[in-house]
Amino acid sequence: MEDNPLQNELISDLLEVQNLSVNFETIDRTVEVLRSVSIRIEKGDAVGIVGESGSGKSTLAQAIIGVLDIPPARIIDGVIRFNGENILQRKTKSPNFRGKGINMIFQEPLTSLNPVYSVHDQLEEAIRIDDPTVDAKKREEIIKRNLREVMIRDVEGVLSVYPHQLSGGMRQRVSIAMVLIQRPQLLILDEPTTGLDLIVQRKILKLILNLKEEISSSILLITHDLAIAASVCKRIYVMYAGRVVESGSMRVVLSSPSHPYTIMLKNSVPEGYMDEGPLNVTSGSPPDLRALPSGCAFHPRCPKAMAVCREKVPELKKVEDEREVACWLYE
Amino acid sequence: MSDPHLEVENLSMRFKVKTKILHGSADQGKFKTVLNSVSFAIKEGETFGIVGETGSGKTTLAKTLVGIYKPKNCTIKLQGKEINFKKREDVLSLRRSIGIVFQDPVGSLNPRLRVFDIIAEGLPDLQKMKKGEKETKIREAAKLVELPESKLESYPPEISGGEKQRVSLARTLAGGKKILVLDEPTSSLDVSIQAQILNLLIKLKRELSISYIFITHDLNVIKFMCDRVAVLYYGQLLEEGSTIELFERPRHPYTYDLIHANVTLSSTNLYTTDHESGEPSTEGCVYKNSCPKRFEPCERNPPVIVRNGVRVKCWLYETQENLNGVISEIKKELGDGS
Repeated sequence: MEDNPLQNELISDLLEVQNLSVNFETIDRTVEVLRSVSIRIEKGDAVGIVGESGSGKSTLAQAIIGVLDIPPARIIDGVIRFNGENILQRKTKSPNFRGKGINMIFQEPLTSLNPVYSVHDQLEEAIRIDDPTVDAKKREEIIKRNLREVMIRDVEGVLSVYPHQLSGGMRQRVSIAMVLIQRPQLLILDEPTTGLDLIVQRKILKLILNLKEEISSSILLITHDLAIAASVCKRIYVMYAGRVVESGSMRVVLSSPSHPYTIMLKNSVPEGYMDEGPLNVTSGSPPDLRALPSGCAFHPRCPKAMAVCREKVPELKKVEDEREVACWLYE
Repeated sequence: MSDPHLEVENLSMRFKVKTKILHGSADQGKFKTVLNSVSFAIKEGETFGIVGETGSGKTTLAKTLVGIYKPKNCTIKLQGKEINFKKREDVLSLRRSIGIVFQDPVGSLNPRLRVFDIIAEGLPDLQKMKKGEKETKIREAAKLVELPESKLESYPPEISGGEKQRVSLARTLAGGKKILVLDEPTSSLDVSIQAQILNLLIKLKRELSISYIFITHDLNVIKFMCDRVAVLYYGQLLEEGSTIELFERPRHPYTYDLIHANVTLSSTNLYTTDHESGEPSTEGCVYKNSCPKRFEPCERNPPVIVRNGVRVKCWLYETQENLNGVISEIKKELGDGS
């Protein structure tokens, strides 16, 4: 990163992750979950992280918001700067960048909402924690306004129910409403629509986009679905086995993917009818992080693998403006 | 034309609400209809897709077809022969010809058996079979699903999700089943693994001329895999037709909404106009609370209308003459009421 001409400007970035490496350590083995991952998010940006299971995308999100279980996780190397400040060095128990700074929406709202609190009480608690000076009347106002903002029509009806009584889409709306109370500068969404029905999924995605404009926050969307990332994000990072293998503007990466893995990911999603022939994928599965292949982790599945791929890990190289690929093909 | 492979007529299933914890005490003891007179027929060597959202009854349908649930007052014909669910032999013959692959590969394989023995469980007349014969059959099945021989000695927790689904498939194929019910077979897999399994399923269908009943919520997969598709919404089949007809010219407003809600790589624009959606209705048309084209007759249960090989359950496609009749009937009733 020393030779990066953007170095001085990077401070204007909202979030900057540099060379982050995370291990999961147990008594008998060490697993490399993230390896020198660097991402950056500007103010107002919508960035997607796409990868399959074991790519490290959720670990990255947890590291950013500071909920990694340490141990077994251990941050080996790297910095995470939020508004120019290294948040990894913070020693306090409850870091103040969380909430108004960075907030996160999880995949399964049933586990992120408290089952013994009604919707009203959960939201009220969030407001009290955010600002203890707000009086009861004002709190009610904020609760109702937030629920209306997430397109819940029957606000009164929703207030008194418990999370399990709501449908998946409604639950996700409530958890979004809760996060909105604090108007975070950066919103991390970890698979926010997985498990939701198509029509609901579209509505939630649209809601997220609208709210992003309204509270002018930045978005980091983590997903396994390229199409969903494409519908929300302007830039994308593709991850494989704990490393970023390709990054760039969404439009360019989608129209002309460079890394063989990105190409395969794009080809894996059926788009047409059967007569267009079988899907163009190679055999093999995402690697076991406990036994990573030597060199480039993708080489056993790569149709274009060369001798060098088995020996050395390719570095992320800039191939065009704003576009980086980690592949020996582009050396 | 030959007899359809499998014919289902007026299949209805309802369950009693037992607990009040999840449903509230008001509904306790009441019946909940999960499938409402579902009818369809599958030809030999065909892939029949059933697409539906959560709660549409997809899995109940799958379980009924393999004889896990026993429906009443419906006709299920297997190669022209009617199945009587009260007779044990009939249910067994159903189970012998129809295999199932479940969504969850972890839950459907016994973790204490070797892969070899799991596939062996699918063999018919396992007891009578000689050891050598059994082994050849198992190795054949494993080869069909492209499962490496070395994995036969492993236990399910030692193999990957994609391999587990291959084992599930091998188990049904070893039994020589001619119809496979695939209940969300790729939903828990990574996309690249999903693609491998889909390619494998297409290859198997060509080689063995088996039929699939492919149940999923994923429209891309349905479009890619199926010859014909049925759309299930809260227990009712709203539309059924060839895949191309359904995707290019969706007739039912629900099918239209579903297809247009799908975010794909070629259509990622979220800024299109959407209409409000409501709860499924228990009276009249099931989709009326969400339907942008709702009009007077929708208060009544719509008929199934067949046109150009497409079956659609919607008043929009009824003849004007019949419509006028229904509308005047409704008006008359309303007049009487007030």
